[in-house]
Amino acid sequence: MSLSFPTMAAIRFGYGLRPGESLPQTKDDLIGQVMRGADIVPGFPVGGIEARHTQILDLQDRLKQVRQADGDDLARRQQRRLLQRRAQVLFQMDANARLMQSVLSPDGFNERLATFWTNHFSTSAAKSLPMRLIVPLYEAEAIRPYMGTKFATLLRSATEHPSMLIYLDQAQSLGPDSKGGMRRNKGLNENLGRELLELHTLGAGSGYTQADVRSAAMVLTGLTIDPQEMETAFRPQISEPGQHQVLGVSYGGAKRTRKDYLAMLDDLSVNPKTAEHISRKLAVHFISDQPPQEMVAAMSEAWKKTDGELSAVYRAMLDHPAAWRDEGAKARQPFDYIVTGLRALNSGSDTGDVAAFMQAYQEDDADSDEMMAMQPKKQDAAPDGQAMMQAPPSPDDEARIKRRKAFQMARALGQGALRRMGQPTWLPPSPAGFEESFSAWITASQLSERLAWARRASAQFGKDVDPREFLKATLADAARDETIRVVSQAPNKISGLTLVLASPEFNRR
Amino acid sequence: MTEFTLSRRGFLTSACCLAAAPIFTPVTFAAMPGDKRFVTIVLRGAMDGLDLVQPYGDAGFAALRPTLALAPDKGLIDLDGHFGLNPAAADLLPLWKAKELAFVHALSTPYRDQRSHFDGQDMLESGGEHVAEEKTGWLNRALAVIPRSDARKAIDVNTSTELILTGPNNVDVWASDSNLGPAKDEMQFLMRLYAGDPAFAKAMDEAMRANSASMTAEPSGQRGEKITDVAALAGNMLKGDYRIASFSITGWDTHVGQLSQFKRPVQDLAQAINTLKATMGADLWAKTVVLAMTEFGRTVRENGSGGTDHGTGGCAVLAGGAIDGGRILGKWPGIADGALLDDRDLMPTADVRELAAAMLYRQFDVSAEDLTGKIFPGLSFDKGSQFLRG
Repeated sequence: MSLSFPTMAAIRFGYGLRPGESLPQTKDDLIGQVMRGADIVPGFPVGGIEARHTQILDLQDRLKQVRQADGDDLARRQQRRLLQRRAQVLFQMDANARLMQSVLSPDGFNERLATFWTNHFSTSAAKSLPMRLIVPLYEAEAIRPYMGTKFATLLRSATEHPSMLIYLDQAQSLGPDSKGGMRRNKGLNENLGRELLELHTLGAGSGYTQADVRSAAMVLTGLTIDPQEMETAFRPQISEPGQHQVLGVSYGGAKRTRKDYLAMLDDLSVNPKTAEHISRKLAVHFISDQPPQEMVAAMSEAWKKTDGELSAVYRAMLDHPAAWRDEGAKARQPFDYIVTGLRALNSGSDTGDVAAFMQAYQEDDADSDEMMAMQPKKQDAAPDGQAMMQAPPSPDDEARIKRRKAFQMARALGQGALRRMGQPTWLPPSPAGFEESFSAWITASQLSERLAWARRASAQFGKDVDPREFLKATLADAARDETIRVVSQAPNKISGLTLVLASPEFNRR
Repeated sequence: MTEFTLSRRGFLTSACCLAAAPIFTPVTFAAMPGDKRFVTIVLRGAMDGLDLVQPYGDAGFAALRPTLALAPDKGLIDLDGHFGLNPAAADLLPLWKAKELAFVHALSTPYRDQRSHFDGQDMLESGGEHVAEEKTGWLNRALAVIPRSDARKAIDVNTSTELILTGPNNVDVWASDSNLGPAKDEMQFLMRLYAGDPAFAKAMDEAMRANSASMTAEPSGQRGEKITDVAALAGNMLKGDYRIASFSITGWDTHVGQLSQFKRPVQDLAQAINTLKATMGADLWAKTVVLAMTEFGRTVRENGSGGTDHGTGGCAVLAGGAIDGGRILGKWPGIADGALLDDRDLMPTADVRELAAAMLYRQFDVSAEDLTGKIFPGLSFDKGSQFLRG
């Protein structure tokens, strides 16, 4: 028996049900989310896109100053540590805002696609200090606006962004025979060229050769970053002169321009191998680890017919009957699990109680170091804790203690949990992104973490929630009879809510 | 100064030492003037009173509970020639002998027929006549009418107050922010939850084997130590400004393998009570009443898996130097054919709210009018209550 359309749409193609939020009723509703999504400004980077560009330049300047400063190493290390801390705080705020963006958005399909594409074009904030500021910007300005365009547009946008150029070392790649390359005695870095073919377009094992990889890297030479502006730039003087053959097509010439690699990207974007690779990847992500071949074929066909119009590809997936049967074949990945869990608990109007808490306490207290110093030291053994008599803390201290506790709880339920579960935001393990398969995520340690999260979230937010109502509101007709029975018999409310969040159907989609 | 006053800082320090207290959900305190102390312990999950205090003198008891029923020749601790104490609670025997411990059988809230833990606990804590009738807790409403009590500052360190103390009156809260491990009864539910899903069942099985400590909260000593810590915290608070404390003990939902499962929460309860007494000291203990109560009892008959299911009539535990103990209180309905409710549950013969009302009356001079009007709407109570006699 299949689930109702709205339930399936919310669970398989979105981040589950949020009490009080209306559900997608048609495929048009889902596609409409994506078309609308291009104009929606996400909650990150915190402070906005314009401000972020300034912050990145500012960080660059300061790092340079620290490098060039006279004075002892200690002072320089301290200054550098301060910059690191500031960048880290900003990154944490962005990561929280990323989580809340998905928790609060009524456009679950658009949010899921943002996660998919950001992961498809993986870049990691761990690459360097400025990347803490750049990767969130990348998702906001290079990925999200182009998820309903032609794939060629998205591919250009992602490939040219500083985040990608830094992450895959393109900024270090020079044509060996270019003027700049010869002068600096440096050469080609194949990293972006390889991942472009293997991960971003054609797919591994799709028939391209090492010569194609090298040629693609040659075509890409010249594409780099202006270190002063921290913007994408094309520098002919480091671009490898001559013609470079990729999959039998020649790009370049005596005089190299930006058009060379753009032509290559455009060709790759409509290559049938690319259509097949990415259609399959979408189907694997949304439908099943083993999606039906006809579905992938239908999506590839739509790709070919429209020259890679992504909304047509999504539509082909949604139009296939397999999109609406055999629910629960996929495991929710940690980000998916936590977003869905927070959404389920986030009742109340507008922002909701959960999101209000998570947002209010996303920043660590600036006085946290003092707080640590204020924590009582371990006392010498004393009966009944009587050695602990001291002057009572002031109301200010109490407020700070309370705030710090809340901050710790918010972190434990958000980025802390994501880290423990192996999916920290914008920190993928490799250019291939996070694991995808069911078996990668439903393991003993993963389940332990999810149970701990479920229990903590239930205790924090579930005080006034009846588990039976919660089950109805969050799983609707996806709840199995056995889960309904078990939850209704749970020994207390917190246990009941925990069981809902721990249930197989809450962890599947 | 003879009386030790725990400062707020000391309070927090104690909380730090208690980083993990798995079976205790929030500990809530309320301060008020006067010497007397009152502690409520909510036994969540439906404590089987017939296992804790067994009516071995009733003909047929052994037949109704083939694996669970004990007798004095099988380890049961005889209390009065008819009822005997489960040996897991042996640590409570000195209190019984000192007349500082009593049991009340056949109690229930007005809740009937549905036997849901959620509704049952709501009823127990809200003190109303019907499910969801009262939105606040009876102990909180009591704060407003206790003579000479005044406004108190909240110290909500973390999470929330339990329903029993929730309401307009200020209550200080301490709660563990630890990574709570499931109680054993919850584990049974998880197993059932995953039984029909092999991938999850396998992961759960591996998780339990790999990490039995954190998954089952069962390593010997650990849980007990934590109960001792929390009860000591409550005891210390009661030595200071606070007059009322409340916390919970979970793990009572013994549908399966009750013979082994029941021991742990019983030992928790015994340790909690003994620790309260030890921490508070003899002088204060003499002014204290501890009331441990549960949402409902369990089936008189053992079920097919060595456990018991949700019932109606239950059992409350009273402790403290301020009670006249060493007795089994309440009107015993018996367990003979025809005596059971719906042919399955112990027939309730008194309202658990009456017992609570009697304790509030005794400890804090709350008037019968307030008790039956504001605190327990719909309750019949006057100073002639059986729980105030003798």
